[in-house]
Amino acid sequence: MAGKKKKTSQYEQVKEILNTLQGKTVPSYQGLHAFWLDPETFITASLYGQRLIAPKDGSDSNEGSEGCCGSKSSSSAPTAAKQPTKSGDGCCGSEENSSDTASLQPAVSAVQQPPTTTSIGDCWPSGGSGGGGGSSPTQKRSNQSAIIIGLKGQYPFDGSIFPKLLWDAAATASADQIQTIANWIDADCPLTLEEEQKNASKLVQVSTHNNHLALATGELLHQVSTNKTNQDHGDNKGLTVRKEVSSLSADELNTFREALNCMFQYTDYWQDERSFDYWARIHTDSCQHGWEQFTTWHRLYLYFFEQKLQDYDKNIALPYWSWTDYADQNKNTFNNKEYDLGVLPEAYGCYLSKIGLDKLKDQKTSEGKSILNKKEISALEKIVKKGTVYNSGLRFLKAAGIPYEIINVNNVAVWSDKIRAIYDILKETNPLWFPNRWPGSMGPLSQYPTKDDINLLLSLDNFGDFGGGPSYDHHYGSLEKVHNGMHNFSGGTNPTYPDNSDEWKKIYQKLKLTADPQSKENPVYGWMTDNRITAFDPLFWAHHSNVDRIWARWQELHNGTPQEMNAVLAPWSMTVQDTMSIQKLGYTYMRDSVFYDVSSKTGLVKFNSAPAKVSTNTLDSHRKAEIKIHRVQRGNLQNANIRVFLNTPDATIDTPTKGNDHFVEEISTFHGSCYGGPGHCNLPLDKTRQFDFRQLHHHEPRNYKINATDAVQRILNNGAKDITIQLVILGIDGNQIDNAVYIDGVSLNFMD
Amino acid sequence: MDNTYTTFKIHPSIGIARLGNTDDDFYITPEQPGTRPIACDEMGREQKDSKGNPIRVNSFKDSSDLSKIKKQAARFRVFAYKNEEDTEGEEIKVGGTYDFIYQTAVTAPRTVKGKVTDIDWTVHLANKKASWYEFQETDGEEGYAPSHPLRNAEVTQPDLRRQLIIDPGPLTVNLKNNKGAFAKFGSESKKMDCSKYKKISYPQTFPPSDIQPNSIETLGSLLVNEQEKNIRLIVLGGNGNSGSTKTPVIESFVNNDGWFDDISDGPVTATIEYTFTDITYDGDKEIKTKTKGTMDVQVPAWVVVGYPRYVPEMEDMITMDEKMYDLFVRKMAYDPQVFGVPPFTKESNSPKTQEEFDIWRNEARYNPDYYPKFYRELWPQLRRPDDFKYTFVFDFFGGGDPHNRGTGGNLNYETLSIPPKNGEDPYYRLRQFVLGIMRQTNQLNEYEVEGNYNSTSNKPRLMPMLCGNNPISNTAPQKFLSMTETQLFFLKQWANGKFVNECTEWGESNTKCTNPWVNPPTTGIGIDRGVLSNLLGGAFCPGGELSWIVNNPAIYSEPYRIKHATYIAGGLSIPQPIANTDGSTAPNLAAGMEPGDLTKYIGIPWQADFHECTFQNINITYEKWNNIYPESTGDPVEQQIAYNIPWWPAHRPIVVLDAPEPNGSQVYWASGIPNNKAGDLQMVQAWKDLGFIVSKGTGITRQFYQIERNNEALGDPVKPGDRVLGQSFGESNKENNNN
Repeated sequence: MAGKKKKTSQYEQVKEILNTLQGKTVPSYQGLHAFWLDPETFITASLYGQRLIAPKDGSDSNEGSEGCCGSKSSSSAPTAAKQPTKSGDGCCGSEENSSDTASLQPAVSAVQQPPTTTSIGDCWPSGGSGGGGGSSPTQKRSNQSAIIIGLKGQYPFDGSIFPKLLWDAAATASADQIQTIANWIDADCPLTLEEEQKNASKLVQVSTHNNHLALATGELLHQVSTNKTNQDHGDNKGLTVRKEVSSLSADELNTFREALNCMFQYTDYWQDERSFDYWARIHTDSCQHGWEQFTTWHRLYLYFFEQKLQDYDKNIALPYWSWTDYADQNKNTFNNKEYDLGVLPEAYGCYLSKIGLDKLKDQKTSEGKSILNKKEISALEKIVKKGTVYNSGLRFLKAAGIPYEIINVNNVAVWSDKIRAIYDILKETNPLWFPNRWPGSMGPLSQYPTKDDINLLLSLDNFGDFGGGPSYDHHYGSLEKVHNGMHNFSGGTNPTYPDNSDEWKKIYQKLKLTADPQSKENPVYGWMTDNRITAFDPLFWAHHSNVDRIWARWQELHNGTPQEMNAVLAPWSMTVQDTMSIQKLGYTYMRDSVFYDVSSKTGLVKFNSAPAKVSTNTLDSHRKAEIKIHRVQRGNLQNANIRVFLNTPDATIDTPTKGNDHFVEEISTFHGSCYGGPGHCNLPLDKTRQFDFRQLHHHEPRNYKINATDAVQRILNNGAKDITIQLVILGIDGNQIDNAVYIDGVSLNFMD
Repeated sequence: MDNTYTTFKIHPSIGIARLGNTDDDFYITPEQPGTRPIACDEMGREQKDSKGNPIRVNSFKDSSDLSKIKKQAARFRVFAYKNEEDTEGEEIKVGGTYDFIYQTAVTAPRTVKGKVTDIDWTVHLANKKASWYEFQETDGEEGYAPSHPLRNAEVTQPDLRRQLIIDPGPLTVNLKNNKGAFAKFGSESKKMDCSKYKKISYPQTFPPSDIQPNSIETLGSLLVNEQEKNIRLIVLGGNGNSGSTKTPVIESFVNNDGWFDDISDGPVTATIEYTFTDITYDGDKEIKTKTKGTMDVQVPAWVVVGYPRYVPEMEDMITMDEKMYDLFVRKMAYDPQVFGVPPFTKESNSPKTQEEFDIWRNEARYNPDYYPKFYRELWPQLRRPDDFKYTFVFDFFGGGDPHNRGTGGNLNYETLSIPPKNGEDPYYRLRQFVLGIMRQTNQLNEYEVEGNYNSTSNKPRLMPMLCGNNPISNTAPQKFLSMTETQLFFLKQWANGKFVNECTEWGESNTKCTNPWVNPPTTGIGIDRGVLSNLLGGAFCPGGELSWIVNNPAIYSEPYRIKHATYIAGGLSIPQPIANTDGSTAPNLAAGMEPGDLTKYIGIPWQADFHECTFQNINITYEKWNNIYPESTGDPVEQQIAYNIPWWPAHRPIVVLDAPEPNGSQVYWASGIPNNKAGDLQMVQAWKDLGFIVSKGTGITRQFYQIERNNEALGDPVKPGDRVLGQSFGESNKENNNN
């Protein structure tokens, strides 16, 4: 072969192949023309609904729509969120359209509406039309890419819907040519030789035998995994972890927001399970309050909603809003005559991004003037720069010096076009924020729940007192009573409603508006306060996640259950009994979780972790710390002892355990030698068959959970600011051993 | 054991012959939509131009007699399919070698390589119209009520009832015995018959020879020809004779007791004769014997005889191909990429057993990711209405040109054919508008677009604005026509931007790509569908060549194939109430179709309905009622009538040009034949004097005009507005059967 030939990059080869195949005439390809020549088009565009190159993780099928507006955006901004109503189509130029229709709404008949929703359905992943084209991580990216499917002439490019690719071409692709393109895609589409080498070296780094050894002996530190928590726990066959909302990584929060934004796209189709309204309406229609099904019904409600979100991205879990974290801050806002002062988790707040601001700047009134004046723009620019997050839309507007405006449309109080435009952008920027939310005082009453209050709640020793009574002796449980107060606190009182403000009384008179407490855009209280519509506020889910967590914690402490265990929890076909274990439903609660990936290819001698870097808040406020050793192999292995230390990077088998504040626990493994034919003690196959109800396989790797609460407390008391974990392996003879312990991961978990 | 053998199929699966009254001059049915018939010689051998394309006829009548319409012949061929994957097939030839199954009384079946020597073609035509039930719009579509009246109801004795069937018996022809006649033994028409088993008698039934005005002694004839080694069957239909046993009067558009006509239909089967060299051994000695074998073509066909296609180049709003395609897609997993069970591949949509079909029909749905092709699946629906202005003046009052295909028109393909590109979709609204005025299948009784469309002007009417399956009686009214569900699905995808302009994508970037049927079909299925595209696909009241029976999946053995019933000579089925009296054979859809079973629903004589199918005034006061009687209760309700709703503008012309523009002027096509029952009776004779409509030009400048009208018999054509004794505009309401 031509050894001296200049090495060309994979992408150059791909282009060359496609150019040659296509020949002289290039058909339209839906206006993309020679799409392979422009990498951005090639990697992000779809041809008649078929994504030419499948998105990287298989689940973010919406990636393509970012290309058209996102080119200006900085990718670090937390607002990579998609536009809620128009993703594929005209996403840059059509802001005017969207503001038009917002104010016209019902007056416009379906026939005349512009194509704002033509790409509906594109944001939600599905099983795909090509047989599992969705997001299975075991599927090669190339096999899900239309260019490969099309060149191979597979459905729908088998002539049934489309002819084989390339169209109108000089030649058909050979198997080798297709393989070259597939390899390029599976190498994550590097565009240059340098990129190829970088990608390749990344792989080498991870897989180098030397590194494996260094890691297995503790010479190299195991780094904190940058994956989403549920990716790591899921990969290790663990439960889904619902984390405290402030512990979500930027990536996790982003995906959660994208999923909600996607759900909002289906708002008009409220019977569609992918629509947020579909879920919110279930509460309207079926919610259970004021008796023992309160806890159980809501547990299922969250379960099914979370399952739906996991269809979008399997790593999504509902975060919980730990009310008591905000108790100090809210001491003064809860029992106060002034409204809209309360503090909520920042993730649910209101903020503006650079992209959002740019969009707002482009918006024009019907007279063609910018909707914002110079002063407002400069105020907003400051807010964007500072990155301030506000607890309500009203507080955001106040900070920007933009007066909140209501207008009279057909005797209904609605936002002015300007406010609507701003709120639309804010909602798009953070779909967790909700406009009808004024957290804080409900007037002079009661108190904000503290940690002590919750502990008191947890000390109740029977289910009735804690969770409510059965239908024949129904009464509220204490948990629900606290929950009620938090609904009202988070929804709050609208300071711009006439009953709550003399100024607004006058404004309403001037606008000839009658105050309507149930007004859609200017109600008397926030929607969280009204159980008919509360679930439309995304905060609802975090709030109830916390309710569910407290019940789960109570279940750990006590044995009581509701009395009617066989009752069915409509609209689902599951019973009260089915809700008794959150583990059985597949999830658990953690304030935060740090994961270290460990290779089970090499026998572990010593595990030495990099610092966990958990937040001070977590270190300060967690109830329990736990170290979990994931998937310890057991087939035909020698027994060993694993000693667990904290913050002892140079721990050895000689490091003392007695009297050592850093020592956590020593565990012993108990394995057996192998009988049976060759391969008997190999790792079992993954359980993939739907009807495989067999119990845990003998050789399924097992987990150890080590309570590290006291040890963590000790080292923190000694002044430690961060935590590292060491595992030291020794044989039962007390000597070092390097072929007894094979594990897949270590995690440090904090529970509330 | 080698079990690979060739599958043979007859194409077209359903052939169409058309009546004519010339002695022996005929042409061949077009095998593409909207094309003129194919010219041929006296044995039916196709005439070809220098490029091998068929030559189209320019004249539809006898060269010297404008009162003689040439017959249109149905041509059949046998195709061989190598294996399951072979979907195209190839026509078999004399001397061609195929894998046949050879079997004798004493040997087990085995596959042999045989050479084709001849084909025995067998056809059995019959006409069951007079023996069948009355046609009463939708009544009977889902089975007949015990009280449903029969035609010729006074004939209740089973054997006499069977006499109402015209059954000349089957004929078998081949290259050696190449002519046959479906004629009465001993008649003039039978003399040319040299068919294979002509000496074998058959219990024929024919109407009395003294029926008036025209007697019926034949339903048509068969020819076999060899062209370029292909052995082909030619089926010719009747002479257009209709007559009554009584003093001939027409009382109804569809049911007239005492009447007979020579329309017919029936099965077409074939047996291939071949020779092969049989090798046997006598000890070690190889003995070669030249042996003759025969094998039945496994997949047989059907032939339907219809009335003349006076406007051969104008496509119906819904063609029979489209009607059947819709059924096969939704009920028989014909195109799973359009309608099926996800993931919409052939592999996951191959029901075989009844149970599998039941499950499939429960679960199948339209594929939301299907991208219809503009010129194949969308444009035909959109361009056809514009043609109808040459057979029918539809915008009487307002002027305007709602179907305009030119620049700026509602149906301009230059805008409608452009899919969204790069996120831009400038014609979205236009497409949505077009979809918005298309009548959905749940709007069959609605006249106008629903909802607050535009308060300042009249609401648009739902399209197509044509009569439906039942604008007449009060049983299951379907006042107006809608496109098929599948066509509407294509339009919906299109309106939402999911479609492909095949011209810009698939190497057909020349003007020809706008017509996927520009070249004659070469595949079997292409011929099947091309032939059917010249039949009327609705509305079925009762329909053109065929009626609503085509909507019933039970009559098909597979998509596009009629299921053949077994029957005994002279024992064709008669309606169940009479069959039950002596145990005669009663109809059984599940068992298949007999000769005459497809056309028996159509009006008798055909000329009556054909003449009346112009316009209909449709009562749209209430959705669920066609007939209301407010005067009987003094109800002051204001009746609303949709006036002059046409039936089938491409099948039954109303107003035509008498010459190409600019010289032509509009005239009534049927002028000379008054628009009343007397005219219906006159049509029994005058059908042969009417003109044919041909086209000139292409694209939006294509126009249609009349030729070969027999003014000697009918008088000069009358222009709209002319006041001439005995002429009227042509509106004709089909009467209500229940009154």
